[in-house]
Amino acid sequence: MRRMRGGTLVAIAAAGVLALAACGGSGDSGAGNQDSGGGSDALKVGLAYDIGGRGDQSFNDSAARGLDKAKQEFGVDATELEATQGETDAQKEDRLRQLAENGFNPIIAVGFAYAGPVGAVAKDFPDVKFAIVDDFTEGVDTGPNIANLTFAEHEGSFLVGAAAALKSETGNVGFVGGVNTPLIQKFEAGYTAGVKAVDPDAKVQVKYLTQPPDFGGFNDPAKGETAANGMLDAGADVIYAAAGGSGSGVFRAAKEKGAYGIGVDSDQYNQPALADVKDVIMTSMVKNVDTAVYDFIKSVNDGQFQAGQQVYDLESGGVDYSTSGGMVDDIKAKLDEYKEKIISGEIEVPSTT
Amino acid sequence: MSASGLDVGSEQITAPPRQRRRMSPVVYLYIAVGALLVVSLVRVLTGAGNLTSSGTVSAALIAAVPIALAGLGGLWSERAGVINIGLEGMMVLGTWGAGFAGYQWGPWAGVLLGVALGALGGLIHAVATVTFGVDHIISGVAITLMAPGVTLFLAKLYFTDAPGGGQKQSPPIDDVAHVSVPGLPSLLDSIERKGWFFVSDLAGLLRGLTTDVSLLTLLAVVLFVVTAYVLWRTPFGLRLRSCGESPPAAESLGVNVYKYKYAAIVTSGALAGLGGAILAVASSQFRDGQTGGRGYIGLASMIFGNWRPGGVAAGASLFGYTDAMQLRGEEAVHALLLLLGVALIVLAVVQVRARRYVVAGVATVLGIAFVLWFLFTDQVPAELVSATPYVVTLLVLSLAAQRLRVPKWIGQPYRRGQGT
Repeated sequence: MRRMRGGTLVAIAAAGVLALAACGGSGDSGAGNQDSGGGSDALKVGLAYDIGGRGDQSFNDSAARGLDKAKQEFGVDATELEATQGETDAQKEDRLRQLAENGFNPIIAVGFAYAGPVGAVAKDFPDVKFAIVDDFTEGVDTGPNIANLTFAEHEGSFLVGAAAALKSETGNVGFVGGVNTPLIQKFEAGYTAGVKAVDPDAKVQVKYLTQPPDFGGFNDPAKGETAANGMLDAGADVIYAAAGGSGSGVFRAAKEKGAYGIGVDSDQYNQPALADVKDVIMTSMVKNVDTAVYDFIKSVNDGQFQAGQQVYDLESGGVDYSTSGGMVDDIKAKLDEYKEKIISGEIEVPSTT
Repeated sequence: MSASGLDVGSEQITAPPRQRRRMSPVVYLYIAVGALLVVSLVRVLTGAGNLTSSGTVSAALIAAVPIALAGLGGLWSERAGVINIGLEGMMVLGTWGAGFAGYQWGPWAGVLLGVALGALGGLIHAVATVTFGVDHIISGVAITLMAPGVTLFLAKLYFTDAPGGGQKQSPPIDDVAHVSVPGLPSLLDSIERKGWFFVSDLAGLLRGLTTDVSLLTLLAVVLFVVTAYVLWRTPFGLRLRSCGESPPAAESLGVNVYKYKYAAIVTSGALAGLGGAILAVASSQFRDGQTGGRGYIGLASMIFGNWRPGGVAAGASLFGYTDAMQLRGEEAVHALLLLLGVALIVLAVVQVRARRYVVAGVATVLGIAFVLWFLFTDQVPAELVSATPYVVTLLVLSLAAQRLRVPKWIGQPYRRGQGT
């Protein structure tokens, strides 16, 4: 409870500061607002993160990058709030309502956990534009003022699956999922399809670290390492870690046994926290949440808001595989061939297992 | 590992009245060999090599140590009559301490700071419960709620700008040295690969226990021995335990109850902090929320372990073993159904001999149910696999540990001079 009240205070204080800043801005318009496109009324963007928030070196950070870029280019004002471990939907709803009542528009909710809350709050504030990242459920979080920014994770995962099969010498690869949710199953479906496209006889070992509602599997490197070791002992030599923060354990196990790991969400080869294991991260399934967030803010800024689902897929560059480290250079031609086939529709990647 | 898990079972049951309580080491050896025989029989029948592979055993060891230390911490505190439900919070403090000192000055410095912060958490609990007479549960819950908030704040303060760190995680920490018994690994490895009945299983078990063992794991083992010695073989330990049984009696004999309770709770916090620090070092970094309830599992293993070091170790090992197995491969979980069924039936036989027919009946029914489940299915649904360690530990320990005895004065505040 105390935390909630703290959050409210912070929000009010932040809103106050922003209001003051806005006053200040209009006072010396020419000088301060040069980069905001001619001193027009800057957007007030409210952004609600899922658990982890800014600094999680993954999904939320990617959203933050998109916001930062928009801040730079359009000079938008922004307030960022973040979810706490084990909170209820009601708390998420409060958070969004607070932002809306304080005049923030547009409001971006990061993560499928906001599906219900966004749907509820958006109804009460028809003039506010909402965006939700990673969810599109008809009737739950759809409406004339909601944009659903979703990704074709299965398509990106197909490519890294193909890469895994091409690199594997044992014909045996692994998939470590953080938590057994429909979203992560989408990664698994694409990955398995990619592996089988290259080598129909290959074996894919699958393990989810925890079952919902226990979301600890995204945050437990020790469990990731144990699961990966089990797969390596059973003959796998490439493992895809779609497990958020638990991925570092997977990479450590791979490094110890001379195998490869595949990263997720951002180009994990370049993450400073993983510097000591980066030489086994042969590629990553990149999910450009920043592009989606930036595009959404831009669309509102330009007065071209679009409601409904917007899929960021291979074609639009919303998902892709990374090449940092040069470990997939030798198979790049083949991967790009698959990529073309997916974009042209020749290969249809399944999104459910 | 499971061998020791089953031991406890049998120990608690076949330990009827006091005079026969102490069994000779030979009996323990028989029980261990018997348990391993059953496990290897199941392994041969099901072909699930992961049941006794050295990989499983060493993963089990890594998984069990943080839980075991939390449980040992709980034991110190509860033996002195103070419930410590703040173990989870003290572990969290330990993980942060390991992250903060660990990335700057090496893993051992991290362990030291983790222990110190855990002890600090224990000290807060001691001040609240002993000096101010706050309800033990309230104080413990407060610490468990407060610790993640404090560590998150500190992490934002110190890790955000550190190279490789973030608001929720510390920069990477190096691991401590790992040791092996010289010469043994390659020999055991070749035996393990043969797949012989019993011999290879024994080799797998031994190899897991003697190869590439973290020094921190050895430290944990030493602490169990030290605890058993200090609490049951020294005057200090006797006085400490007397504070948990009857503080008025202890005080009437000149024991400074407050002082002993303080010592016990601070030690408790230090051990939980060590558990957290070991978890962080084994994960190579501090992460927000990485303890994931291990403190509570430690507490449960202490209760089912009858407030004895051996019981705590067995409970934590059983949990670690099943957790490692379910994480490593799902075929082994299916084999575990058969193993669990057989273990429960063995338990039932022992309970019949101890004339506890109701427990025996329950164990028999459950045992047969598990065997049937094994026979009529090919795999366990993925949704249930993660629950394996909880179910197995709960079933085996609750059906085996029928003679739990709580320290008498537990959970009640005691004011100086209350008894006079």
